[in-house]
Amino acid sequence: MAKTKSKSATYNPKNTWKYDLKKNGVLYLIFLIPFTFLLIFKYIPMVGILMAFQDYKVAKGLFDSPWVGLDKFQELFAGAQFGYAFRNTVYMALLNLTLGFIIPVILGLLISQVRNKRRSRVVQTITYMPYFVAPVVVCTLAKEFLKEGGAITMFLTMFGLPNQNWLAVNSPVFWFINCFLGIWQGAGYGAIVYIAAINGIDQNLYEAACIDGASRWQRLWNITIPSIVPLVVMMFTMQIGLVFMTGFDKVLLLYMPTTYEFSDCLSTYTYRMAFSSGNDFSLSTASGLLQSIIGTLLLIFGNKMSEKATKMSLF
Amino acid sequence: MARKPKYKEGMVVHPSLGERVADVIIGIILLACMALAIIPMWHTLMASLSDGNLLLAHNGVLWKWVTADGKPNWDGYIKTLSYDDMAIIKSYAYTILYVVGNVLVGLVLNVIAAYVIYRKPKASGIMMLFIIISLMFNGGTVPTYMVIRNLGMTGTVWSMILPDCTNAMFIILTLNAFKQVPKSTIEAAELDGAGHFTIMFRILLPQAMGLVTVTMINTAIISWNAWFNAMLYVPSDKNLWPLQLWIKQIVADNATLTTATSPDWNRYLVSYCVIIIATLPVLIAMPFAQKQLQKGSLMGAVKE
Repeated sequence: MAKTKSKSATYNPKNTWKYDLKKNGVLYLIFLIPFTFLLIFKYIPMVGILMAFQDYKVAKGLFDSPWVGLDKFQELFAGAQFGYAFRNTVYMALLNLTLGFIIPVILGLLISQVRNKRRSRVVQTITYMPYFVAPVVVCTLAKEFLKEGGAITMFLTMFGLPNQNWLAVNSPVFWFINCFLGIWQGAGYGAIVYIAAINGIDQNLYEAACIDGASRWQRLWNITIPSIVPLVVMMFTMQIGLVFMTGFDKVLLLYMPTTYEFSDCLSTYTYRMAFSSGNDFSLSTASGLLQSIIGTLLLIFGNKMSEKATKMSLF
Repeated sequence: MARKPKYKEGMVVHPSLGERVADVIIGIILLACMALAIIPMWHTLMASLSDGNLLLAHNGVLWKWVTADGKPNWDGYIKTLSYDDMAIIKSYAYTILYVVGNVLVGLVLNVIAAYVIYRKPKASGIMMLFIIISLMFNGGTVPTYMVIRNLGMTGTVWSMILPDCTNAMFIILTLNAFKQVPKSTIEAAELDGAGHFTIMFRILLPQAMGLVTVTMINTAIISWNAWFNAMLYVPSDKNLWPLQLWIKQIVADNATLTTATSPDWNRYLVSYCVIIIATLPVLIAMPFAQKQLQKGSLMGAVKE
């Protein structure tokens, strides 16, 4: 995953563009193929961001719609709905970054404690399985299990909680539901990289510790955990960069108008403003742009942290 | 696993009581994790074989199908396959087309982009920047939609294959894989007069297959699971819907079904059956994919 910084050093002796073009002309030509794809599907849409500063009308197009400066952003901040969406996004991202991050680490550590190789394999395969279940299916299952009389609801009634449709509850419960669904889907997958790292630890360390009479707990605390800390730090800094942009597709499948106050998030707000209830492309683009800017800043920040802490970076 | 210390002969091993208790606690926690991972799909499988009316009256987890005569009820599957004029079967074919299209087009694009940068022409730094920027910034849902609409792709198969088939992350992964291939093989091939395409697809790719397979499997999973793009780009062409969008639609239809007068209760089973039909092949393919992904993540972890 991680890679060192790419240097633009060239290996040809004559370091001129003319020489390079002659030598590598064909390379430049074939690069045009992926270049065109990225240009059309990633870069040209960036031009569309200008819509955020316009009062975009479909009939007029991007070039003739009136420019309104930051009016659309003011409109965003003035509306209560955007405020809710922003707050919920922050909280859901924070939950994913804390609870959602630590559980795979713990699962990895637990699985690595299983001494029997066959059993360990079985545990890995089964906990890994949900990663292959589609978000649509996960959310359908969530609805089935959290509805009135659903399995989880019935389980919770044993602790004196009401028999209700948990997805219809207008409270921060939704943030936790979203986070737990992410964990259900991704914990086994996330644990793999830690298990691999623990397997890579020099066995001699453990043997030496055994001979010195270190207990299992001491070996875990003094050998295993220190050995995977760099990896954990790297994964965490990478996660910082992604946390604001990912993990919200489930919200669109689960939320309902009566719970918007706690379930709406920036992605769903952006979608709804353009395609569902509203038809305000400018407002939608403005909200998407805001999320994108914060996401990019976090990505750069996370990458810098990763570089500082572990000498590894994504780019 | 890793923790299993290989006790040498003659070493006296007697795990203390504390260690045994720890083993039991860890075992219980992991069993619970496995149960949590399996139960939802098991419940769905059992529900798909139940009687619709009895299923609606059932509360909690379904450990075994509920039918009046105790035998599994296959009516749900029959209804699913004939649902909406064989829509599910058609959708299956299209979903496979999308997955294969995404994986193949993506593979070609990633390999080409990675190869060019790998050969380090003078502009390779700029090329890398071009790719990384596409990873960091994006136009967002609406502007991307507008571009695809203006290209006339909405309502066609192309809108489901081309927009997301290449991905900066996967290009970077492919490039990393290429960098691990010994340089001498390429030099040898060049001396033999191999062209760029021969080098990238017949020499580099086979040797870098480990990490490249990871990108391919991930692309396949992403496109098998995709529904959002279909909802944006082909909302009214039900023929082109991937399976996931059908699941979403059928589940939504079920909500209104229960309010109808004298409904066909087994029609309620269709949502469970379609989930099983859409998920089972993936779960069957999983052990293979898992092996590859694990190897890949190991490679990523070992690097440098």
